[in-house]
Amino acid sequence: MKIDRENLQRKVAELKKAGYTYLVKITAVDYSTNVQAVYILRNIPKSEDVTIEIDLGNDDLWLPTLIDHYRAADWYEREMSEMFGIEIRGRVARRLLLEKWDGVDPPLRKNFQWNAPYKST
Amino acid sequence: MPITRINIGPVHPSTHGVLRLVVDIDGDTVKNVEPHIGMLHRGVEKLVETRMYMQSPPYMEKLDYISPLSYDEAYVAAVEAALGVEVKERAQYVRLIQLELQRIASHLFFIGTLCNDLGQMFTTFMWAFEDRDKVLYLLQEATGSRMFYVNMRLGGVVRDLPPDFAEHALNFLDYLDKRLKEYESFIEKNPVFMERMKGVGVLSRADAIDLGVTGHVLRASGISYDVRKDKPYYVYEKLNFNVKTQQGGDNFARYKLRMEEIRESARLIRRALNTIPEGDALGMPIRLIGPSAKNKISMVSRELPRGEALMYLVADPQRPYRLSIRSPCFINLAALGHLTSDVRLADLFAIMGSLDLVVACVDR
Repeated sequence: MKIDRENLQRKVAELKKAGYTYLVKITAVDYSTNVQAVYILRNIPKSEDVTIEIDLGNDDLWLPTLIDHYRAADWYEREMSEMFGIEIRGRVARRLLLEKWDGVDPPLRKNFQWNAPYKST
Repeated sequence: MPITRINIGPVHPSTHGVLRLVVDIDGDTVKNVEPHIGMLHRGVEKLVETRMYMQSPPYMEKLDYISPLSYDEAYVAAVEAALGVEVKERAQYVRLIQLELQRIASHLFFIGTLCNDLGQMFTTFMWAFEDRDKVLYLLQEATGSRMFYVNMRLGGVVRDLPPDFAEHALNFLDYLDKRLKEYESFIEKNPVFMERMKGVGVLSRADAIDLGVTGHVLRASGISYDVRKDKPYYVYEKLNFNVKTQQGGDNFARYKLRMEEIRESARLIRRALNTIPEGDALGMPIRLIGPSAKNKISMVSRELPRGEALMYLVADPQRPYRLSIRSPCFINLAALGHLTSDVRLADLFAIMGSLDLVVACVDR
């Protein structure tokens, strides 16, 4: 389902009440003109998954945190934040995978120059 | 006593890879553990975007060098889902047999290294590696390679099983049955092992779900979720696969569960070898094309030896547009901080050993 980021926390709280208590993955896809965040939640007894997609546009990249709903969100949010340059509001998102990396662009965005010669900053 | 901060790793025999832990201790009690990952990050998700579809399986295998075939298969399955390719019936059996053999090899590795982490029983380590080697010989016979197999092609496999494979595999499984009993009597009668396994690193049901752990860590906490049962693929349903669970949630439950899973895998292989149909199992030759539509999303879950891997593939006609890998080790490692609060420092490695991490799989 597609929702707005403003409704994310409310929707997730509803789903959690309905049995979707397990967070499978938080990830994102950069569609060049639009970065889309993807949340996959699971109802374990029914073995049903639900996918939430949120379009973020290209400039104002932020998302509310889900860490109050799922502790599993912690590392997924940190990873997504540094790989896509998405700000996670409502928590401190320290770096995770690329702790010592001093590159400028988030590496999984499409405008990232993966084959450019390395320039030390 | 003041809190002392110590640094473990990045190169340490018990971290099973390049993983750094910053540990706060109060005397001998662990107060906080913070894993620092990323030292083995190779950017596989980005790399895949720059390659044709069937150029990527070798990269996938390096994500988890203890069970390479499983990752290979998960990726190829995601591509098959995007292209709408059906897997041939015999190939489904061949894949299942190879995947379950890989699982046995991986679990034997786990038992060996776990005992080694506990510092007591080098014997078990040698035994487990000897038996794992026998599985590797079988896989070598089937695929032609000992370590990295790359045996999956769209719709099938590269090599079908050789003629006398079934006999060799069944002989090995009979041998393994006897061997597992020896392991159990050797390991579970060892008071040092039991002392450090029972009641250590307990993860409750509610915490297991909230922390999002997967695979044996989830099932050892009493939650019956296994992709092979809940979203069955290939012929798992037909072969009557049973999910194994344990209720304890501690290190011992995780070890015991894996012992049972080896037996279940052996049972599956026996049944598959007895019922495998004749026919063609070979996959398509490598084609450098993808689906005809742009941005086709396919989501495939697979139960790897270490837990559930989810491949979220956005496919373009030429190459993958984006591949997001849900790595089982990543989320199991994220739970380490919770598992190790207020344990003895020595138990930290027992708990880490029981999580069975491969750092390459964590970092991707």
